[in-house]
Amino acid sequence: MLTDFGIILLFMITGAVFVGIGIFASALIRPSKPTPLKLTTYECGEEAIGSPWIKFNIRFYVVALVFLLFEVEIVFLFPWAVVFKELGWYSFLSMVIFVVILLAGLAYVWAKGDLDWDKPKPYVPKLEDLVITKKD
Amino acid sequence: MIDEIFLSQLKQSVDLFLPETILVATFIIALIFDLIYKNSRYLIAVISIIGLVFSGIFLVNQSTSSAAIFSGMLSFDPFGNFFKILILLTTIIIVLMSVFSKELYEGGRKTGEYYILIVGMTFGMFLLAVANNLIIVYLAIETMSISSYILAGYTKEIKRASEASLKYVIFGAVSSGMMIYGISLIYGLTGSLTFDAINSAMISSDISGLTLLIAGLMIIAGIGYKISAVPFHFWTPDVYEGAPITITAYLSVASKAAGFAVLIRFLKVSFFDSTNYANDEIWTLIGTIDWQIVIAILSVLTMTLGNLVALWQTNMKRLLAYSSIAHAGYILMGVVVMTDIGVTSVLIYFFVYMIMNLGAFLVVMIIANKTGNEDIQKYNGIGHKAPFVSACMVIFLISLTGLPPTAGFIGKWAVFTAVLKSEYIWLAVVGVLNSVVSLYYYVKIFRNMYIRNFEDDSEIYEFSPGTYILLIILAVPTLIFGIYFTPLLDWAESSVKIFLGV
Amino acid sequence: MLIDVPQEYYLILSAMMFVIGSVGVLTRRNAIIIFMSIEIMLNSVNLTFVSFAAFMGDTAGQIFVFFVMAVAAAEAAVGLAIVLALFRNKKTIYVDEVSLMKW
Repeated sequence: MLTDFGIILLFMITGAVFVGIGIFASALIRPSKPTPLKLTTYECGEEAIGSPWIKFNIRFYVVALVFLLFEVEIVFLFPWAVVFKELGWYSFLSMVIFVVILLAGLAYVWAKGDLDWDKPKPYVPKLEDLVITKKD
Repeated sequence: MIDEIFLSQLKQSVDLFLPETILVATFIIALIFDLIYKNSRYLIAVISIIGLVFSGIFLVNQSTSSAAIFSGMLSFDPFGNFFKILILLTTIIIVLMSVFSKELYEGGRKTGEYYILIVGMTFGMFLLAVANNLIIVYLAIETMSISSYILAGYTKEIKRASEASLKYVIFGAVSSGMMIYGISLIYGLTGSLTFDAINSAMISSDISGLTLLIAGLMIIAGIGYKISAVPFHFWTPDVYEGAPITITAYLSVASKAAGFAVLIRFLKVSFFDSTNYANDEIWTLIGTIDWQIVIAILSVLTMTLGNLVALWQTNMKRLLAYSSIAHAGYILMGVVVMTDIGVTSVLIYFFVYMIMNLGAFLVVMIIANKTGNEDIQKYNGIGHKAPFVSACMVIFLISLTGLPPTAGFIGKWAVFTAVLKSEYIWLAVVGVLNSVVSLYYYVKIFRNMYIRNFEDDSEIYEFSPGTYILLIILAVPTLIFGIYFTPLLDWAESSVKIFLGV
Repeated sequence: MLIDVPQEYYLILSAMMFVIGSVGVLTRRNAIIIFMSIEIMLNSVNLTFVSFAAFMGDTAGQIFVFFVMAVAAAEAAVGLAIVLALFRNKKTIYVDEVSLMKW
């Protein structure tokens, strides 16, 4: 008898076979007369220039870092919330201390101004931006 | 769910945990004060010192208590207390040193976070000194490491500092990753994460073999990174050179102390037979893996490489970095012995090492405040420009070499006696040979200070009175403990008792 | 469900992940990718812990995983902040170009 994973495997095989039949049948039936123009990228848009690895504004990182730090506390809050009723005031007190320490950190970040989203200065593109240095 | 026994245990735990609680409170209070008084230069340093001293008072009060708290997560005992006091003294001296550091305050840099992070790091090391559970070991190591990553790059405009910080964080993350992989294997083998439960699992089911060896080696690698034992030392010279001098001194003493505390406790409690602990002199290994040989090899590699590479260093911080690697090797010799005598010698050596190493780094900092860098060429003629500072440096150098009548001799003497009493004669021979090699590069500093030619002897360096007081605080014990060392010996002997669980 | 798969499979997978992570750390030059490799190492450890905990019916391993996740986040945050500081200084995140200090 099939296990649960076996069913998934069967499903994947069936899917692949269906798609394969479709592609094969259309390749068999359609006329094939390639020209250079036909082989270019589809009509809308332009040829891609430059690397897709663009530089993001550094403020994204700061906000992301702060978010990352404060969202992992959920890892501790969820298991605690599940058994909260059984553990009573002792666990409540522990969690209050934990959250208060985190809040002190949040207040610090806030007061330091790391959460401020000030307007960016307009950036004038330069010729050097187009020069691609490929690494790694 | 909550009964009377649990409540009384909780109360005991919270009472014993007071020094650490004070550190956390200091951390938060300092954070808030840093926000309110943004431009004060020394306020946070003062708050940190107050918090540390308070914590120290409670620490001294509980120096004889011995108990497992928080359901066996931590075990408070004289052994942990010794290391905590040592770490605390180091922290206080480092905070005082930082106040006089020119490098740190250069260009009106805000230093509030610096002192706050030092307090946080102290908290991590306190936990590490008493950790009895591998979860706590991991958390404590990370608390300490993450603070020290930031501190190593605190002067972030200086390229060397940010480079040091990056190297430190990469090596640190990899080694802690290796350590927790080892921990996970140990957990799979024994089904437990508490040291004493690992021990009883190993006694009852006789676990040994390749997996245990790999797991143990991985955990030792993680801890060995903290004590910068060869071959896990690659970060040490670069980080020590790039970091601010105060942080270099701090890493070379305090984080090593915490690393040694957890190494000894982990080996002792987990891998030695706890059933015949009544006999203090004999520790019996469980299983077939000879951890003593592993540590002995580490020790020989560490001191030999540290001393040999130190020979051709031209930067004082880098030289002292390699010298501190070598000293970690000497201390590991005491760990190899793995009896109470061995642990006593480790404690004595560590206390002595703290004083003399901090002293040497203090002198380097004072000179760098004047000359701007730590190049050994800058020491030419310092003996005439700053006679008192140089005299203190000579004391520290003699002590680091391990010659009488300084404290360094007492430390070396304790370690070598312990090694000779066990059957590791060859280890003692290697240790003595290494001490002879180390003499060369310590003499090199001395020669530069006094004998090398110098251009102008008219200039006399002036230093602030505070630095003189700090120097005296460190230089006098270096001499006194070399002559009158009974209190140190007594304290170390009463501190070897490791609490072995319930 | 979890128990249907033999435990060796979990351990082999996690060992492979650990090796992939280690090789990534050793061979890559981009600091960000090195941090990603370290995350793979930590996740392999998590997998080992969870599988041991599930097969032994013990919760300590799962609790460890929570802490590893939280610490990994903190470590990644500090690591990225350090990379940013370095980038502002030296305009590079390639670790082999970070070589002011040598033996």
